[in-house]
Order: sequence, then C-alpha cells, then structure tokens
Amino acid sequence: MKKVITICLFEIKRTFKKKSAYVIMLGMPLLFTFLFGTLFGSDAEVSFQIALVDEEQTAVSQHIVQRLMLDEMISYNIVSGHEAKEALANHEVQGIVMLEKGIAEKLRNGEPAVRFQHPPGMSTAPLVKQQVNQVLYSIDVYATAATVGSGYLNEDWETVYGKLSKNEGQIQVWTEQRTSGSAGNPMMGVSYSSAGFSIMFVMMMMLTMTGALIEARQAGIWSRLFTTPVTRYQVLFGYFLSFFIVGWIQFFLLIVLSTVLFGVNWGSPGGLLLLITTLLLCVVGLGMAIASLVKTAEQQNAIGTLVIISTCMLGGVYWPISLVPDIMQKIANFVPQTWAMEAFTTLIAESGNVGDILLPIAVLFGFAIVFLSVGLSRMKYA
Amino acid sequence: MLTLSNVKKSFDSREIIKGVSLQIERGESFGLLGPNGAGKSTLISMICGLIPYGAGEIRIDGKVVGKQLKEIKQIIGVVPQDIALYPSMSAMDNLLFWGKMYGLSGKAAKIRAQEVLEIVGLADRAKGRIETFSGGMKRRINIGAALMHRPQLLIMDEPTVGIDPQSRNHILETVKSLNEQGMTVIYTSHYMEEVEYLCKRIAIIDEGKLIASGTKKDLSNRLAGGTVLKLTVDSLHPLFIEELKTLNSVEKVIVKPGEEIDVHLHSKMEMVAEVILLASRSGIHIHNMQLQEANLETLFLQLTGRTLRE
Repeated sequence: MKKVITICLFEIKRTFKKKSAYVIMLGMPLLFTFLFGTLFGSDAEVSFQIALVDEEQTAVSQHIVQRLMLDEMISYNIVSGHEAKEALANHEVQGIVMLEKGIAEKLRNGEPAVRFQHPPGMSTAPLVKQQVNQVLYSIDVYATAATVGSGYLNEDWETVYGKLSKNEGQIQVWTEQRTSGSAGNPMMGVSYSSAGFSIMFVMMMMLTMTGALIEARQAGIWSRLFTTPVTRYQVLFGYFLSFFIVGWIQFFLLIVLSTVLFGVNWGSPGGLLLLITTLLLCVVGLGMAIASLVKTAEQQNAIGTLVIISTCMLGGVYWPISLVPDIMQKIANFVPQTWAMEAFTTLIAESGNVGDILLPIAVLFGFAIVFLSVGLSRMKYA
Repeated sequence: MLTLSNVKKSFDSREIIKGVSLQIERGESFGLLGPNGAGKSTLISMICGLIPYGAGEIRIDGKVVGKQLKEIKQIIGVVPQDIALYPSMSAMDNLLFWGKMYGLSGKAAKIRAQEVLEIVGLADRAKGRIETFSGGMKRRINIGAALMHRPQLLIMDEPTVGIDPQSRNHILETVKSLNEQGMTVIYTSHYMEEVEYLCKRIAIIDEGKLIASGTKKDLSNRLAGGTVLKLTVDSLHPLFIEELKTLNSVEKVIVKPGEEIDVHLHSKMEMVAEVILLASRSGIHIHNMQLQEANLETLFLQLTGRTLRE
C-alpha cells in the first residue's frame, strides 16, 4: 500500500505543478459557467415574454393563469386573443399560450386543454411547453380530486374545484410532480451551466491525467517501474487513486467557487457525495479505457476530446436535453452525462436527496464498471 | 552473480535470442557488445524479468528469474536506454520517487538521494527540473535512479547514447568507481571503446547469438590477422609480395593503389621486424609504415563481416 500511496501522491504533485492544470481544472469551467449561464439567463431572471389569453374566464382557467404567473423565468402578459396575435406579429412576445373555452371539460376528459402558438424555430418553445404541461399536471390533480369529491359531496364539479384550489397552499403538489419522474422543475441558468461544465471539465481534466499513463509508457517509465519490486496492480491502483482524488478536489473547488461566485445551491450534500463519487468512477474509467485503446498521447488527446465534446452535447451538458429531438433524447440515454445531469437536476432544482437519484447512480455505476473493465483488461504495459 | 544457461526467446515464431549462455562473477564488470538490433536489450529485459524467456534459465544470485522476481528486483538496479524520468519534476523528486519504489522510507530516501546526487556530480542541481537539464545531466540522473537502493548488480543498457564527451567521461568514471567499490556491472553498448575501457570480460552478441566472449586478451588472441601493418613503398615488386605471403607471421597481404600494402599479421609486434628485413633484402624502400593494432571492432568485423555501428 505504501507504494500505491507513493505513486498516487507523486502523480497528484505532478498534476498540481503544471500551471495548465489550473486552467482546465478551475479557470475554464468557471468562465464557461459564467458565459453560458448568462446566455441561458440567471436562475431567477425573466428571459422571455409570452402572451397569455384566457378565453374561458372560469375558476379553473384563472387557477391556471395564477399558476403560470408564478413562474419567474417566463413573463406572461394577459391579453385578448386579438392583442396576442398583434404582439406576436410585432415580435413583442415570443409565443401565445391560449386557454380555450371548455377547458374544465377538456381537463376532466383528459383532452388537450391549452394551445401554444409560436413561430417556427423558437428555441425556448420546449421549455414553455414543459412549464405549461407542468402547471396543467398540477391542475389535473385538483381536477381529479374535484371529480371524486363532487361524487361524495353531491356538489357540482366547479364548486368542489373552487374549494380545493383555495386550499392550494396546504397541498404539496410539487412533491407529487417530483416523484412522477418526468415533470420536474427545469434547472436553468448558472445552476445548469455549473453542473454541466463541472462534468465536462472534470472529464477534460481526467483525459489530461490519464494521458500520463501513455506518456509514462512511451517514456519507458513503466518498463523501469516494473524492474522495481512493484506489481502492475500497485501501479494501476496508484494512478487510479490519483485520478480519483484530483477529480474530487476539482469538483469540490468548483462547487465551493460556484456557490460563492454565482450563488448556486447544489442541494443535498449526501446526494452530491454519492453522485460525484460514482460520476468520477465512471469518468476515470472512461479515461483509462481510452488510454488503453490508443498507442500515443496525441491519439488519446484527439479521440478523448472528440468523445467528451460529442457526448457532452448529447448528454445535455451545454443545453437542456428537452431542446433536442426525441430520437436524440433516446440516444442520450447511452451516455453517462445524461444520467449525471438528471441526478444534478434532481439535487439542485428539485431539492432531491439520495433516494431520488438512485436510478442515475445505478446507471453511472454500470458505465463505470464497463469502462474500468475495458481500461484495466486492455491496458498495455510496455 | 548472474548465470544464463542456453537462454532462448522467440517473437511471432522468429527466434530473437538463440541459446545464449553466460556467467558473470560477483564484482565483475562485464561488457555486452553488439550492433543495434543484435538482441542486447531483449537479453537485458529478460534478465530484469520484464519479458519472460522462452527456454533455458536465468539465475541472479542463485535465484531464478521468473520465479523469485521480487527478491531479484531488490538486488538489481536497471539503467534503461530511455531516460525514464519525470521531466516536469526535480532531480531530487525523481530520485526520491525511485528510491521509494525500491522500498526506501522517506528519510532514508532523502539521505540516499543526496548521496546519489554527489555520486553523479549533480548535487548542486537537486532542485532543477529534469526538462531543464542537458542530455548528459539527464543520463546521469537516469543512472542515479538505479543506484538509490544500493544494488548488488547494476545493469546498464546503452547509458551514454547521444551525450557530449564530457558527460560520457563522467559516466564512465562513475561506473568504474562503482565497480571498484564492489558493484557488479553489466554494461551494454555498441561503443567498443567504452566497453574496452570499463570491462574486464566482454561478450559479443550478434543476431541473438553469442559470437565471442572472454577477456580482452582472449578475444585479441582469437583475432587472426587483426593487427595490420600498413606500408607505403617505392615500388610494388611482385616477388616481394609473394615472399611477404610466405612469412609465418603474415595472415594475408592486400595490395592497394598508390604503392600501398596492408599486411595482416597474427598480432605480434616482433613480426614487424621480419617484414622490414624482407623489404630491405628485396631492395624495397619503405616510405611510410603504420601499425594498426587489433581491437574489438576488427574482431567483430572479422566474425560478422560487418562493423559494430552498421
């Protein structure tokens, strides 16, 4: 174990001696977080305008309006249908959300109750749709309760719904949304960028670090190591441990700095500990797998960068995965970043805890096993 | 100290080492000479346990390589052909790292690293990063790393490749001094003058075969016609050439353009007198005479038909 620790500490010392390491480790992720975070808007900032038309003007429709207006990210302007069309034509709003007549009936029957009109190519359309659906989902809870309640109380549906909606504050609707799995609050702005770019630059850092395996092999250091009384397992474990510790240091510093600089709330410490540990196993495993499959440091750098950039795009690191077509969302399930981002969203945006991220953790652990198996079994020693 | 018994190695059904047998005594300085690609590094890698040997047996200090490797690694120090050091780290950091890999504790490693820096003459550059060192200085630290655990057997694989004469001299003096202090040294090189200077016994290897071994004197005696007497005469009289060939001391005579004759002798200096006497009797006037002594280069040339640096 002494030799494992010696190799590990030596590699950590070597890493922190390089000035470029600090750029990849902290400088770049913080800069990208700031730039992309600003682009997507800060977490509380209103970033776009939507016209809201209430054709129904009933308790149900007003409840929906009230819930939509609570949203801090989208600014809804209540207007008539005519005014909404004009505003859209004049580019004063980016879309129209229309609560059509008969909305209560449609909700009861499970029919589409809200129309969303937007120009083609509106990049934020999926986000608005998601938020409207989220509100409708919570309203649906009241609608269902009102249907059941009207039968018991012998009162009409509208009356029961009105009573229920008055007690809204006492009903933890958001909790039910979260446990449904798919209708959680979206994570936006700096929080999103912090999580995304932390993942990406930890991966970049690990790529640089695992490149040390190839450099050592090319320089004849591994051959020399194996003329000393040290085993392959000690060497590999020493390197692995150093990668893991540096990854943790990087994540820790990024969490502290993004909290201080950007006010990001990373959520449950226990969940974060579990998530980062599993994610690092996966990322270190990926780095070692790439290092085991290539011959030179140049190949590793080129292939590794390509793999990281493309899978980060696919896995929703730069932008919410809901913005990409369905087919891409399905493919994204096969990259670890998707699951890491899902877990971060649960922790950061939905105040989730360990129990809520077990599925992504299990998937990430599966990825880690596959990558580490490839890396360790195919590693070339000389 | 080291015994190789009919050691063989094949890669992809091609035999690289073809039954090499050697015995190196404790405290000896042994040279392994051969051109590039002769199999020296493969042989060294097998001795160090880096690659398994196909047939035969290698023993170091009585222990079988491949079976008691852990104990063997503790008593050998290997200086690889590559500069196997961490360039971004200091000389001291590198030495400490390699010392700890040999099992030295932190304090013992520090004390020994300082001693090793003195041995290789770089005590004043302890904190300098390897990447800022000259080729010769890197080579000296490369050797130093193998000395950290005071090995009984020092195996050096081409330790002076690509360095300046000053650093080469320093390295050769260091190795000689280590050997004089009792360390067994195996020195591989394709520079025959280094091997001649450092080693009492020498083995010449070519195409995976041991083609000659013994002391320098043994090898010189094996060299028929290795000593060459180069004559420049006033006229090439055919009778003189024929009589030269009949002398007992002469192996062969080569006539060159420009009234020059190379007389290959069976190495003994006294035979030169016979040649001069014959020239005098034949009325041949010698303008110039040069005696080129036999060396390992000429022996290698005679044995293989190639030069060491080909």
